[in-house]
Amino acid sequence: MSELIFLQNEVAPAMLRGVWVSIQLIVPSAIFGLLIGILSGTLRVYGHSFLKSIANVYVTIFRGFPLLVQLYLWYFGLARFGIYFSPYTAAVIGFSLCSGAYHSEYIRGALLSIKEGQMLGAQSLGFSKVQALFSIILPQAVRRALPGCGNELIYLIKYSSLAYMVTCIELTGEAKILASLYFKYMEMFLIAGAIYLFLVSIATWFLNNIEDWLAVPGFEPPRT
Amino acid sequence: MPENISVLKVENIKKRFGDKEILKGVSFELDRGDIKAIIGPSGGGKSTLLHCINFLTLFDEGHVYLNGIEVNYADKHELYAYRQNVGMIFQDFNLFDHLSALQNVQIGLVRVKKIPKPLARERAVAELERVGLKEHMDKYPAELSGGQKQRVSIARALAMDPEVILLDEPTSALDPELVGEVHSVIKKLAAGGMTMILVTHEIGFAGSLAKEIMFMDEGVIVEKGAPRKILYEASCERTREFCDKIIHFHHGDDGSK
Repeated sequence: MSELIFLQNEVAPAMLRGVWVSIQLIVPSAIFGLLIGILSGTLRVYGHSFLKSIANVYVTIFRGFPLLVQLYLWYFGLARFGIYFSPYTAAVIGFSLCSGAYHSEYIRGALLSIKEGQMLGAQSLGFSKVQALFSIILPQAVRRALPGCGNELIYLIKYSSLAYMVTCIELTGEAKILASLYFKYMEMFLIAGAIYLFLVSIATWFLNNIEDWLAVPGFEPPRT
Repeated sequence: MPENISVLKVENIKKRFGDKEILKGVSFELDRGDIKAIIGPSGGGKSTLLHCINFLTLFDEGHVYLNGIEVNYADKHELYAYRQNVGMIFQDFNLFDHLSALQNVQIGLVRVKKIPKPLARERAVAELERVGLKEHMDKYPAELSGGQKQRVSIARALAMDPEVILLDEPTSALDPELVGEVHSVIKKLAAGGMTMILVTHEIGFAGSLAKEIMFMDEGVIVEKGAPRKILYEASCERTREFCDKIIHFHHGDDGSK
């Protein structure tokens, strides 16, 4: 019985607080990450050489540095130059930029898979290249990139657990505090793990629905 | 506009890819309602010429005039306006794969011509009806046959109200039994007075439609004239050889039905 009370009074409030912080980290990072990914992926395929190389450098660095190192740089590193981010801001910046670099690769691959004729067809009707990109090429490429980008969102949910390393106490952080306070590592981390699994399941369901919603003949979801 | 000015004039177009010269100075003029067919062996520069006329491929030298005024492709707005006036039909259709037949025809009207959506839709339906595809307008390219796809692409070009249409081997990617439906749409356009350049291997169809056939090989127009002359009494050896081969291949069947 005392276990139940312990769960109710100590564990549940902390874990709920943690999940809420995690969600506040994940949702904006997912949105910014995807936008950054679409922008940089598009620049890497269609950009002029200067913008293209900036996007390439960005992807190289942010896919090359470990995410934890990136978070330390945003939070602790920049402080040396008088730039102070809150733990939450530092984490969202770090996640968005890292996620964007990965999305960029999926978007780039999808853009390259769209046949040249689609652009020619649009141009022959009087579309500018930018108009054709937004109305014709990207809507197709995003559909093709969706499975990859969805995978990246699943990763993001889990690597959001790194935020507590820069003192942004989210789900893993709360679990860690409870675990060391009561010396119940197995229990607390199993609970945290199950909650992440739950979040991932929701995200998967959500992504499948988006795929179905965007599906048109010729662009069916790659599931059977 | 004065009667004596040609709708489209192409002057001395030259294009090289690397050290290979694809077009070695091609010139011709097209009057309103004129239909010219271009025939010739593959790799002779026919497709490149059409792409150059639409500025989809930029040429190294030469000039293109629409209604007597030279097209300045460096001015983007002039270029986009010009392309609306010169429709292009591609060998492999280039329909927008994520859009239904209706949306394919409509999108240019909405995005390029900035026509309100309900009006654009009305126009798109009318164009699809003209090519006999009204009942298929909600299908996606993946659900259409090759012949139907090409007809949608013709409707899409027509919706922009072009003065000239360039057809780049419109039926060469089609199964033989689907060629007829596309040919009959093109014939209807011709009957309606549309100005056209038709690149084709369907020599019989070209002969029945065009007032003039140009034989193109190795980047130049080798010979041009009335269909009967080019197809049966060509003065140039190369033209004769090519036409003989193709005519025998088709067994005198003009493929146009």
